[in-house]
Parts: sequence; C-alpha cells; structure tokens
Amino acid sequence: MRDPDWEAMDEQEFEALLESSVIQPPPEEVVAEVTPWRLATKRILTGIALTTVTLNFWWLNYLLPAIGMALMLLGFRALRRENRWLGLCFGITVFRAVYLYAGLILNSTIWHSTIFPSPVVYGLTGVNLLLTFAQFFCLWRGFRAVQQKAGLPARAGGAVALMVWYGVIFLLALVQYVGFILLGILLVSYICILRSLWKLSKELDQAGYAIRPAPVRIEDGTAALAIAILLVAGCFLGWLLGCKYPMDWQATGPAEHSGAEEIEAQLLELGFPDYVLQDLTAEDIAACDGALRVVTDVHNHSVNNSANEPLRITGVAVELPGEQGRWMIFHHFLWTEDPGFYGTESIQLWPAQHLSEGWRSAGTVSGRVLYDKNGQTYSAPYYYLGEQTFTSDSIFWGEQTSTDIFAAFSMPETGENKRGYLAYPVAALQDGYILDSWFNYTHQRTALQYPAMTAMEARMCNGLNWYGPFYTVQDALQFYPTAESADLLS
Amino acid sequence: MEERDIIERLLGRDETGLHDLLRYYGPLMRYIIAPIVTDPHDQEDCLSEAAMRVWDRVDQFDPQRGSWTAWLTAVVRNTARNHRRAVQPHHSTQDLDENTPSTQPTPEELLLRQERQAAVNRALLLLSPDEQTLFYRKYYYLQPTAQIAAELGTTERAVEGKLYRLKKRLRKLLGGEGYAGP
Repeated sequence: MRDPDWEAMDEQEFEALLESSVIQPPPEEVVAEVTPWRLATKRILTGIALTTVTLNFWWLNYLLPAIGMALMLLGFRALRRENRWLGLCFGITVFRAVYLYAGLILNSTIWHSTIFPSPVVYGLTGVNLLLTFAQFFCLWRGFRAVQQKAGLPARAGGAVALMVWYGVIFLLALVQYVGFILLGILLVSYICILRSLWKLSKELDQAGYAIRPAPVRIEDGTAALAIAILLVAGCFLGWLLGCKYPMDWQATGPAEHSGAEEIEAQLLELGFPDYVLQDLTAEDIAACDGALRVVTDVHNHSVNNSANEPLRITGVAVELPGEQGRWMIFHHFLWTEDPGFYGTESIQLWPAQHLSEGWRSAGTVSGRVLYDKNGQTYSAPYYYLGEQTFTSDSIFWGEQTSTDIFAAFSMPETGENKRGYLAYPVAALQDGYILDSWFNYTHQRTALQYPAMTAMEARMCNGLNWYGPFYTVQDALQFYPTAESADLLS
Repeated sequence: MEERDIIERLLGRDETGLHDLLRYYGPLMRYIIAPIVTDPHDQEDCLSEAAMRVWDRVDQFDPQRGSWTAWLTAVVRNTARNHRRAVQPHHSTQDLDENTPSTQPTPEELLLRQERQAAVNRALLLLSPDEQTLFYRKYYYLQPTAQIAAELGTTERAVEGKLYRLKKRLRKLLGGEGYAGP
C-alpha cells in the first residue's frame, strides 16, 4: 500500500507514526536479541572457550586465543560497572590481553626464544595462570551478585565447574603428565568446560535482565579493529626490525695482513685460493706458518633446488709442520649472486673429529663474515660461535640429543660479495683415517614465518634440509691423507 | 523454577504462580517497563498492573504461536504504554490495544491507520535482522538511544546515525523509489 502522505510527513510525525504502527509483537528472533546481557555474556563465554582450546594447526593456537581475548575484553568492558567482581574481571582481562598480545607480537621476532625463558617472563606466565583462576572466581561472584540484585537465588555453579576443570588441566601440565589417556582426559575436560559455559549462560537467563551495561566511548567494532591493527602492525614491525641479528660490522683493509705476507706467499704457492686467503684474519694466516701442502675442494650450491647455484663453498686443508698429521681446515662460503633475502643464517660444523675416531681437536674454531660495499670491505665476528647441545626429532632416527658447533649471523641487505669462513685445527690420532669435515649452511629464504625462528634453531629442531623458510646446503671436505698424496673423495 | 510450572499454576488460578511470576520474571518485566514508564513509583505500579494482566489473560497464551517470553513481553509492553498514557494523558493519542480505553477514531481514521500499519509491517519484513532489532528497540520497546548504545556496545552517536539511515530506508520503502529523502 503506497500512501502519498509518507513524503510530506515531517520527522516528528513520521516517528510518531512508526511508534503507533507496530502493534504486533516482534518476531521471536528480535525478542531473543533485545536483552541487556546476552551480547556481553555471549562474548565472555565464547572468549573463555576460545582461550581454553589449543589447536596446533593453521596458526589456530595463536588466532583463537587472540580472538577470544578480544571478545572477553569487549564483554567485560560492557559489564565492568555492574558490580565490583565484574569490574575486577575486566581489569584481569586487560592484564591478560596485554600479556597475550605482547607475546604474539614478540613471536614475530627472533628474540622470543631468548626472552620467554627469562625469569621475569616465567614470573609473568605464573601470574597469568593465577589470574585465569582469579578471573573465574570473580566471574562466579559477579554472576551471583547479579542474581542477588535481581532477587533470584544465587547460583553460578558453571563458573565453579570451570575453575575445577582448569585446575585439573593445570595440574596435569604441572606434573608434565604424558600418556595415551591424556588426550581423552583433555577432550572430556573441554566438553565439560563447554557444558559449564552453557550452564552458566542459562543461569543468567532471567537475572541478566537486571544488568545495566556501561556506556562506551569507543564502539566495539572500532575497539576490535584497533586491536587487530595493533597486532598486525606489531607483527609487521617485528618481522621488519626483529628478523636479523645485530652484527658488529667494521671496515677492514689489506693493512690487517701486514707481517703475514711471507706466509701468504707460501700458501698461494701451495695452491691456497687467493679469494679465501684475503678473507682470513692475520691470526688464522699465522696458524698456517710453515705449511707443507694444501688440499682444496670447491662446490657451487643451489638454495632452492633450481639450476642456479649462487652459494660457493670452498674447503681448504693445510698440512702443518711438526707433529705428523696436523692440519688446519678452512670452510669458506661466498654468495656469488644475491639470493634475494637475508634473515638469519647459520653454519653447523661437523669437524673431522666429530665423524671419525682417527682425529682429535687441536684447537678452537675461529672465523668471521665479510661483505664489500662501494669498494670497501667490512667484516664482523659471528653473532654466535660455539657449541650447542640440542634434541632433534627425525622420522628416520627418532629423537636424538647432539652437541655440535654452530655459527650464527646475519648479512646486510646492501653490499655485495657476502662471505665468511670457519677454521679449526685437527691432529691425527691414528693413521689410515679419512679426513672428513662437514659444513652445513642453513639459509633463510623469506621473513614470512610465524612464530619467527632463527636458522640455527631451525637446524637444531629438525634434521631435514627443507624446513619452512629455511634451506640447508651440505658440503664436505673429504680426502685420504698419506705421506705421498691427499686424494679428494668428491 | 520451570516456565511451564509457573504457567500451569497461573492457569490453575494458583496465587503462588503469580508470586513466582514476579520473582522469576520480575527482572524481565522491569526491563521492559523502565524505558516506557520512567518514574520509579509508577514503574512499581505498572509492574503490579502487568502481573495482574498476565493473571487475567494467561489462558490466551498459545505456545504454538510464540514463546512465553515473547507473549509476556508483549503484554508487559502494552500495559506499560497504557499506564504511561494514563498517568500522562496528553503524552500520546495513539492506542495500540483494543482493551485500552481511548478516544474512538472515525471509520476513515481507523481505515487509514490500518493501511499505514500494514504498510509499515510490510516494510519491516524487508529490513535486515539487525535493522529490525534496532527498529523494535526504538519504536516498540521505546528504549532511549543511550540504553540501546550501551547494550549494543556502541556510542549514542552511532546509534543515532543508524536510526537516521533506518528511517531514510523506511521512507524509501514506504514511499517508493521516487522518494528523495528529507
């Protein structure tokens, strides 16, 4: 029915007309929606469910708690002035949200693995756990207060059940219980938690009408959007600023080799590659004084299974005078082409003594990284160079604990000829053993990974050469040294 | 306390049913009354009146036609509107309940009103669920903007903006595509 008066009506008339026109009760869906409490409590209870569950795939273990915490924040924000218990719940949620979101942002940097095990963060984790219990307690008291205000019998057993089930899970985690029935227990616990939440919601059915949500200055949608932007921007900054090690780059020049010219000349004469020699420190050159012979092996490697091989790895062994069977081993790498991205890089060294009982260590591992820019060479010590004991899991060998030498570093985005080397001395324990020294170079191909992991961590937790954004190149210097010759095996 | 138990006792003319109606559904009834009847003393009177109306008409409740909550809120809302008109006689000349004493409209007025009501109800069906809820909160439950804003987790200004757009849309739906807006 079209009424010509609609257009002519002024605002007041139109409003009065609308008010007088709806005489039929609204649809059931509208009746169910017109409540002061359902939106807030639905958000709180959904938030609790999402922050409780842990699904370790598709990043759901990060996404669901982040969404759940935002829902709890919005839900408790609406109820914060209802009574002091619900006000406390809001305060606790703010703390837990800051803790969770800061952790999620920190996860985008390579520093999370060093910061999370710190005593302060351990303490905060403990506080966060206690606050989770405190939050359920306050929720229970808060809902009881609402029921009392409405003149209804105080019942909020669902919140108590939540505390109990959380307690069971917490105790299982505390005793580090692992077993086949754990999955079943957790599943039953989760179903019980969901049932408790449902019960809690039903317990508020009538008392909830006594709730008066607090007015807000920022809309829920805007607040949720602000949280999402904060998280995305924080993670982006984390990827941008926290994906590399800080390196102590210093300008170097030919002057640093002054006094070692004679040894250099001798090494070149024996066939030591000049491009490797120029990168060595004066101390490493001096360690080769009196060299008897040089064995060299060069390989170019791909870092993405393509035909392009931008990583050149040169293995050099220098036989030293004096005691028979003393060698100085060098593993040198050079990026002949820019691979496109440098995040964190790592070298895992399996020295000769690691693989064969015919050799022993005769000193410490040394080395450095270098690059050129505008005709100037810059060098830096490795960000980390030393031994790491770690447990890795492999589908072939199962769980294994090992101790290896690792070098970790980052390269700058600018410059060219990015390179470096590791050197160590070995001595023969017995004759007749192959000298077999391995150089496992792990390259990070992209910054896009969450949570962020360093190349060294990736290598330590997984024996595969392809692991997420990391690719490991394995190179070995292998030869059989005798008094007359040193035949390369590769 | 089960809903069915209270209804059965009300139907059985058991006065404890009335007592429990006020006890268990009092918060809901007060929630419906508060925006319509703003004076606290009048609110209590209105609550008693609404409870009596439920007592008198509980036999008209048909579970096949809707939920108990929907029926109860409709009775309470209409009682509150009539109560407001009774205590503020000049507030409104509109009458929405056939049992409410009011000035009798002429047959033409009655016909025109019915046509308008039918047109508004047809237009309501074309609104989204969120728009419908907002409409009923404002024009059926007569909730103030501040209350709607707090309960929807938004600002009063945002609610005013939504209501403005809602009215514009309704005018368009009621007046046809040619309507250019106020």
